[in-house]
Amino acid sequence: MTTFFQFVVVGISTGSVFAIVGMSLVLVYRATGIVNFAQGVFAVLAGLLTYSFVQHMPLALAAVLATLVTALVATLVAVVAVGFRGRTTHLASLIITVGIAIFAEAVLLAAFGEVPRSYPAISDRAWDVGGVLIQPQYAVLALVALAAAFLLTLFLRRTIVGQALVAAADSPRAAELIGLNLRSIAVIAFAVAGALTAVGGVLLAPTVPVSYSSGLTITINGFAAAVFGGLVSIRLALLGGFALGVLQQLVVGYVDSQYSLIIALLVMLVLIGWRSRGELAV
Amino acid sequence: MTLLALEDVVVRYGQAVAVDGVSLAVGSGERVALIGPNGAGKTSVLNAACGVIRPAAGRVEIDGRVLTHATPAAVVRRGISQVPEGRHVFATLPVEANLLLGAYGRVFRLEIVSSTLRYLRSKRDVREQLERVYELLPNLRELRERPAGRTSGGEQQMVAIGRALMARPRLLAIDELSLGLAPVLVQALAEFLVRLNEEEGVAILLVDQSAALAFSLCERAYVLETGRVVLDGASRDLEGRSEVRSAYLGRGPDDPA
Amino acid sequence: MSVELAAQGRTARRRRVGAARVAALVGATAFACWLPFQLGLGDVGLYDRMGLYALVAIGLTLLMGFAGQVSLGQGGFFLIGAYTSGLLTMGFDAEERLIDPQAGIDPLLAVAIAPFVTAAIAVVIGIPLMRLRGHYLAFATLAFALIAWSLLYAQDGYTGGQYGVTVSKRLVVAGHEITGATHAAVVWGLVGLALLISTNLVSSRVGRALQAIAANEPAAAASGINVALYKLQLFVFAAAMAGLAGALFTFFAQFLGPEDFGIIVSLLFVVMVSIGGLGSVYGAVVGAVTIVYVEHKLRDLGTHETLLGWDLPSTAPSILSLGVFGLLLIVIMLFFPHGLLPGITGAVRGAWARIARESN
Repeated sequence: MTTFFQFVVVGISTGSVFAIVGMSLVLVYRATGIVNFAQGVFAVLAGLLTYSFVQHMPLALAAVLATLVTALVATLVAVVAVGFRGRTTHLASLIITVGIAIFAEAVLLAAFGEVPRSYPAISDRAWDVGGVLIQPQYAVLALVALAAAFLLTLFLRRTIVGQALVAAADSPRAAELIGLNLRSIAVIAFAVAGALTAVGGVLLAPTVPVSYSSGLTITINGFAAAVFGGLVSIRLALLGGFALGVLQQLVVGYVDSQYSLIIALLVMLVLIGWRSRGELAV
Repeated sequence: MTLLALEDVVVRYGQAVAVDGVSLAVGSGERVALIGPNGAGKTSVLNAACGVIRPAAGRVEIDGRVLTHATPAAVVRRGISQVPEGRHVFATLPVEANLLLGAYGRVFRLEIVSSTLRYLRSKRDVREQLERVYELLPNLRELRERPAGRTSGGEQQMVAIGRALMARPRLLAIDELSLGLAPVLVQALAEFLVRLNEEEGVAILLVDQSAALAFSLCERAYVLETGRVVLDGASRDLEGRSEVRSAYLGRGPDDPA
Repeated sequence: MSVELAAQGRTARRRRVGAARVAALVGATAFACWLPFQLGLGDVGLYDRMGLYALVAIGLTLLMGFAGQVSLGQGGFFLIGAYTSGLLTMGFDAEERLIDPQAGIDPLLAVAIAPFVTAAIAVVIGIPLMRLRGHYLAFATLAFALIAWSLLYAQDGYTGGQYGVTVSKRLVVAGHEITGATHAAVVWGLVGLALLISTNLVSSRVGRALQAIAANEPAAAASGINVALYKLQLFVFAAAMAGLAGALFTFFAQFLGPEDFGIIVSLLFVVMVSIGGLGSVYGAVVGAVTIVYVEHKLRDLGTHETLLGWDLPSTAPSILSLGVFGLLLIVIMLFFPHGLLPGITGAVRGAWARIARESN
């Protein structure tokens, strides 16, 4: 039985990252209508940057710096992905982010090499709860995911900037007419989402080393979590992320580790099918 | 004093010419209409005036300043607010949030510090304006917590108008007031607009398909047909003129060219 | 002139133009089939690959251009075609392949069967897929390709996993071995055939329905066109083309390994279509030729010791190709969303028109 709970615990930790990335995707989609295929790249970039910085400074500072740099990169991605007003459709933006994700792999490969990188976790001593080992890192990840969900929901509902983001998604036309600049809104959304994903990446790397090619799986898992929320619900993305993480871990543990990605993909397909039930093909 | 003046404005979408040299003017305190059939280019004229579209040629002057290539935010800051066709309320946000955004929309730019300062400084004024709007449109006060998407068509039109009024405009431009609304509602809104104009001094530019509504509401009108102003003048002079009818119905094969 | 005579004249003219175009296409195809025999050994392989990818691109450009469906998963069908023909030919069980190299069926039969297997799979997954729009469809097709690729590793008892499948049998037709230049000639002959079928399709009644769908889907649906069925047919066609290309690829490389079927291959097909213009089958061929050539040049460049004074790491080929293709995709989608070629020809035509106007 402890094995089962062990899998669940590990699953919640990986699921936290999926949830974080999923919520980031939801934020960007709600503000801009764009699905950012390069979201996973932000997690990888932050992790690799932290690895580099930690050689010269304490971990906490390295992590903060890495998050800031990643948020900055995210704003650049925003400008490129949004493209030209009127000429660039949402679908074209998606494909642009695909191109950005590919290009980013090249940059990361050139800058950091092929070897997956990592650095020490918050604490080496795991808590023993009735035979189940819980790494403090896992707890932090889960807490960050929960806090992010709470803060993001608050942000979108209660703050004027968050409401401006929602407004831009509800009606870009009317948003423009009251003076909102859609490109600025995209930049803000990408920056916040990028910073959030960066934090997830920084916390992930000690448990699962990251490399230039990790971005794709992270994006896919995050997207599955986001689809669980119909791409618009922060809370459902959180739930979906946790559920997916646990499910994956159970399959990896009890069935075959080769199937972890396939499981994520199948779940994503089922969720996509479920979520687009009501939509006509027009 | 002229609040809005368009001079020979041309709007193109690729190769297609939507607006072919349109000139019009709205003075402060006036009620002016821009009418014409579907596809005449009325919305394009409005969008050119409000900075949503860049004119290919011509001038847009707002309150004496040349603002041909201005951003929508700049146009709002200069005193012109548009109520778009189809209302376009922010459906998932409560009514009050819709209204507040109408005031704050033009405050935010990417410079975080100056935007925050501007936001904090304007908070009191915005609250006052919110009260004014609730006085003008009392229904909205009852609906303040309701998601704007869950209100009726007429209520949404009021939300959209209220949102535009939050920016304290001197000219309110309304695109297709009558769209999808029962005549009783349209009449009530029209009366409201007249009161707004006479008591608050807000100029009105009504862009609408309904010539009857335009003539009853506005003192002056421009008639637009395939991107050109074919007729303009005082409403009472234009009412019933055959050119107005033919602008809508088009010319038959037997009419003289 | 009466209306009927004018119409008859137009139809006659259209038929003459059609015949001329077919003749030109046949001529060009004949040339393309003759060419590989004149090329050096290294170039033949490149040329062959160009043709194989062109087959896939032709199917994809029709799907993206007329059905408006972005598929990030054509690589998956390419994979299915290749491994189907490979496993049918060499035997399904990895261990048995080592023991008995003569297991399996005749390569020609395998190559014939593979596209049908691919098409069948496409029908099954296409029915739910064609309901999807935009980003959901993109991710779903990507998921399909990734699942197929992951299964290569997960089911390595059949697929040989990372060790792949060595295809020791050769494709033989009527006593002739189809390898090397002959293989390339066959591939380009099929490209010509595909172009012929596609262009005929586009100008037929089916083509007009497709154009109506591409122009305005709701209107087309309202006028009685079964949009879902047409989309499915295009999807299956594109899958069959990719499956055929994959099946032929097996007897070009004589070896199947996961590296040839990664996700980047699916994305490359999208880049090829973007270069040539969505819906343009000739553009698809141009796109395929361009990308294969660029990829080859980049790999060459990446294997140098130094470049512009910098020491190149061993991963340089990957860096260069990922970087260039990523950048290409971004630039094309930003500045030429309807395709690079149409964008350029449009700009050239616009420039000509401006010159003509100013000189008047």
